[in-house]
Amino acid sequence: MSQIKILRSLSNINGKNDLGNNYIFWFFFFLLLLLGLFSPLILSRYQLLNLSNHITNIFLGLSLCLIWGYCGILSLGQSLFLGLGGYTYGIVGINLIETHGNTHVALLMGIIVPIFTAFVLGYLMFFARLKGVYVAILMLVVSLLFETFLNQTAGPGWFVGEAHLGGNNGLGRFSGVIREPPSLIFSFRENTIEFVGSSIQFYYLCFGLALITFLALRLLVNSSFGYKMIAIREDIDRTEALGHNIKLIQLIIFCVGAGLASMSGILYVSWGNFITPDTFGVYNNILPVIWVAVAGRKSLTAALLGSFFISWISQWLNEQGDYALVALGAILLSSMLFAPEGVIVKITQKFSVKLSKQ
Amino acid sequence: MHSLSSFVGLIYQYADTVSFLILSAIGLIIIFGMMGVINLAHGEMMMVGAYTTSFAYYSGIPLIISVILGGLVTSVFGILLERLIIRRFYGQLLSSLVATWGLSLLLSQGALLAFGPQIKTVPTPMGSFSVGELSFSNYRVFLFIFSIFLIIGVWSIFNWTRFGLQARATMENPKMAKALGVNTHRIYALTFGLGAGLAGIAGGLFALTATIGPFYGQSYTPQAFITVVVGGIANIFSGLIASAFSLAAVKTAFVFQYNILIGHVSMLIIAIISIRMMPEGISQWLEQRKS
Repeated sequence: MSQIKILRSLSNINGKNDLGNNYIFWFFFFLLLLLGLFSPLILSRYQLLNLSNHITNIFLGLSLCLIWGYCGILSLGQSLFLGLGGYTYGIVGINLIETHGNTHVALLMGIIVPIFTAFVLGYLMFFARLKGVYVAILMLVVSLLFETFLNQTAGPGWFVGEAHLGGNNGLGRFSGVIREPPSLIFSFRENTIEFVGSSIQFYYLCFGLALITFLALRLLVNSSFGYKMIAIREDIDRTEALGHNIKLIQLIIFCVGAGLASMSGILYVSWGNFITPDTFGVYNNILPVIWVAVAGRKSLTAALLGSFFISWISQWLNEQGDYALVALGAILLSSMLFAPEGVIVKITQKFSVKLSKQ
Repeated sequence: MHSLSSFVGLIYQYADTVSFLILSAIGLIIIFGMMGVINLAHGEMMMVGAYTTSFAYYSGIPLIISVILGGLVTSVFGILLERLIIRRFYGQLLSSLVATWGLSLLLSQGALLAFGPQIKTVPTPMGSFSVGELSFSNYRVFLFIFSIFLIIGVWSIFNWTRFGLQARATMENPKMAKALGVNTHRIYALTFGLGAGLAGIAGGLFALTATIGPFYGQSYTPQAFITVVVGGIANIFSGLIASAFSLAAVKTAFVFQYNILIGHVSMLIIAIISIRMMPEGISQWLEQRKS
């Protein structure tokens, strides 16, 4: 009986609240999976380092997709949670790495602090029934305030334990102190494993986490809770009239989003061993919006591909010259004008219409 | 004597903050109140105004006319943007936010490519006066008086002109206004132009006190957003005035007691508390008390 239940809920992974519930999708899914699994054998150390970086962005993209695309809560300051997670992980990590020899506590705190912040902010906003536009703007303002605050912490007074906040140089080697945030280190009894940013282990960690997160979120959005989220997106008043506790659902999903974004932050700090206040700035907040809006906010698959490939493209554009951000602005604006539901969503829709005609 | 000068200093700071908030938010709140679009490219509108003012001033045009020219150019620019882009997003609040944010990125980065990280600043006019040991800029006192007159001016446009009547009708009920023969498309474009023009004038006026670069406007927008959120749009004028005067009081007190950062934080905290109690803003609360 219970086995049937589990199987039935697992079949939600193929549910219709995300793009791709046919064999073509799963064919490409396993193709990408194989490609991802074997790419460390083909790529150079530097390419792998970049690849890991792009994968860490996926969690931020998925978090925005979840809250905006599925629940209708747009946050223009989603990178706030990335930054909070990264900074907390870095600060706790610097302080405890000597005594503990691992980063378990830092990892835990790096997730808890952003979620708690999201809980407080979300409580104040959703339980006041604040308009969606206000939520979006306030999140941006809070994030920018953190940037302003951290930018003025260059002085010698700004130590948290042994971690120097370092003003606009941020946490890490560029602020001139020896202590930099550690890479993720797990230990179990005698065994210790460290995930240095350029290593194959780190790549597989990110890859595995992204895979698990993606599949878990697909389960979530196709569950009954997922349907409630979508109902809120479509018509919040009607959903409430049907007896659902919309404020609680919004709050929960906002906190889940914060947790996801914080994973990006922790992995990013672990990858590069530094984080700067720019993380809270305008550009780092607009980037996830670009990934998700351009690819298609109402689909996890599109958001995942968008976060990965657009951050890849923007890095490539950065190497070409100064016009990278202009190009990104133009891409965002034109996709909002010509493919409001997202480019990937539009393409797949056209494709599936063709399929059904045949 | 010392206490007098610090008292005057406090009043001066307060008036300065009030005019800062009013000028940077007035264009934003008109567009938001009228069409429900929060223009995230508001800072870039101010930047366009500031750039025009600076270019005009250095090509020999008198200062006052340069500022007015800044407003006009931004206004035309705003109307163009409304026609080409913004009008496609009416009724989709969140999409309009994202689209205008894309526009903001495009404009500020475009300005960076075209004009470099900084352009020539315009000197602050009007000299200064002093009380005790402290000296104060006349221009900032002028800005305060000007911002009050600006609100009165915009209020008169909305209440005493034909455009204002049609605009208020469109704001109240667009379909009904259309049925009664109001060209709502034109009204939207003109209102957007008015909002953008006011942002441009504010940009031109602040340009005389600050360094001007592509990201010049972005230092004004967060506080403008807070002012708009706290004020609400049940009545844009009472909302803007009440919100600017009360937020400025909080900010001035905290800046006086601690520092600028604490001042910013206090504004944000007050904003969050105030929206918890008045989610539709002070103006809605005032309207309810009136009726």
